[in-house]
Amino acid sequence: MTTEQLKDYIASRFPVMMTLLETGRREPMYEVKAGQLLEVCRALRDDETLKFNYLCNIGAVDTQERLEIVYSIASVPNRLRLDFKVVLPREGASIESVQEIWPAANWYEREMWELYGVDVKAHDNLKRFLLPDDWDKGHPMRKDWDDPDFVRFPEIE
Amino acid sequence: MMGEIRTQEFIVNMGPHHPSTHGVCRLMLTMDGEKVMKVEPYIGYLHRALEKICENRTYHQCIPILDRFEYVTAMSCNYTFALAAEKLAQIEVPERAEYLRVIMLELNRIASHLIFFGTTAMDLGALTPFLYALREREYIMDLFEMTCGQRLTYNYIRIGGVAKDIPAEFVPQCREAIKIIGKKVPEYEGLLNENPIWKARTIGVGVLPPELAVAYAASGPILRASGVKYDLRRDDPYSIYDKFEFDIPTRPNGDVFDRYILRLEEIKQSIRIIGQALEGLPEGDIKAKVPLKFKPPAGEVYSRIENSRGELGVYILSDGTDKPVRVKTRGGSYNHLQLIPEIGTDCLIADLVAIFASFDVIMPEVDR
Repeated sequence: MTTEQLKDYIASRFPVMMTLLETGRREPMYEVKAGQLLEVCRALRDDETLKFNYLCNIGAVDTQERLEIVYSIASVPNRLRLDFKVVLPREGASIESVQEIWPAANWYEREMWELYGVDVKAHDNLKRFLLPDDWDKGHPMRKDWDDPDFVRFPEIE
Repeated sequence: MMGEIRTQEFIVNMGPHHPSTHGVCRLMLTMDGEKVMKVEPYIGYLHRALEKICENRTYHQCIPILDRFEYVTAMSCNYTFALAAEKLAQIEVPERAEYLRVIMLELNRIASHLIFFGTTAMDLGALTPFLYALREREYIMDLFEMTCGQRLTYNYIRIGGVAKDIPAEFVPQCREAIKIIGKKVPEYEGLLNENPIWKARTIGVGVLPPELAVAYAASGPILRASGVKYDLRRDDPYSIYDKFEFDIPTRPNGDVFDRYILRLEEIKQSIRIIGQALEGLPEGDIKAKVPLKFKPPAGEVYSRIENSRGELGVYILSDGTDKPVRVKTRGGSYNHLQLIPEIGTDCLIADLVAIFASFDVIMPEVDR
């Protein structure tokens, strides 16, 4: 299946739940509503034509106005790749865990809970792991995080 | 009169400074006598906030930072980031640069697999393979040193091409090196394959079923040793790998022994690729024109390549300025370490050492 065919298939299979974003790049990027995340993920994995059974990466992004959670998934039997994102508010961000669909999500979700302060619902092991156990200085990957020890790199002309 | 002996489970910390944890990783083991009942990995000892540092650097400055992300195959880290940046800015890379990149990536893969071969055997009590492996790895390190002056963190593959051209003596010396390594691999096999102690320690230990491997997003040699034929060089092609002939070895059982054999097979395939690349190496430019103040258009991209430890991915979000908004790295070891609690239970500590070694986990890639 080529990228164009994949786009057409997704447009017919998920006409409402997945919105194609205009990014100007070759690979498509979709947006999924936070409330429909589990439903979409399960359908992507179980659909016979797609079979997205492999989770490559989950990355959280702070754009200063909002948080974006970017899921990169792949299909091992069908050799496909897909990206989609969920947009969350910066305050009180909360998302469903996709562990039951892709067990590999466990640590990625733990990481975004720890470094970005995204509350992950129904996660079985939300414990600190990259930061020290007694860390109390907030979520360091957020853009507005500051610390006396954190030195920004000077601008070069 | 003997009363009943009271037994209880107890907890043992393996690491953070245990030699077989390859870096600083702590495994908390719940033991019932000699048997491991539960494993819980504790990571973060090497967390250097590389992703945060990258957000404060320009694109060119990110490349030497990402060298430290996975220093055993630093070429791959350079390459993934460059690939993502090139995809964002849609840069056309000269053909000679692509050939040089493939040669370097494959040499680095061999060097990394040699380290695996040496350290795994050493963890299981055989010292000789380690000395042999480092002896052959030295040929590759010499080639890298000759090309870019560095032996571990290369900063060689840049956005748009490579840092500089290879010296004249590189090609003959590289041919010589792969010839020697190609002759030594059967020697390694002779050392371990039929060794009864090695077989007893590895065959049937740490079996990873293919469904579990895919569910936990295992990649690279670990996935292929479980019988799943999935190699990004073929299945999500990048660079010029479609020009070369090579096989993708798989193994059926998914135990420690298969993961070991598979990596030796991959060394042979890498030698084939390097041979073809040296043969077809064209003349020409080694770098596309990329401004020092490199500003890719706003957008986001996830690029992934086949590293010696599995899928190595970089996600970049650009807002059109000269610094990335977000750089997210994904290493194979991160997922493989998640698998340890799944398959590392109900075995002896000695088996756990074998499983850990066979995953070839490298901690800086996990902690970042």
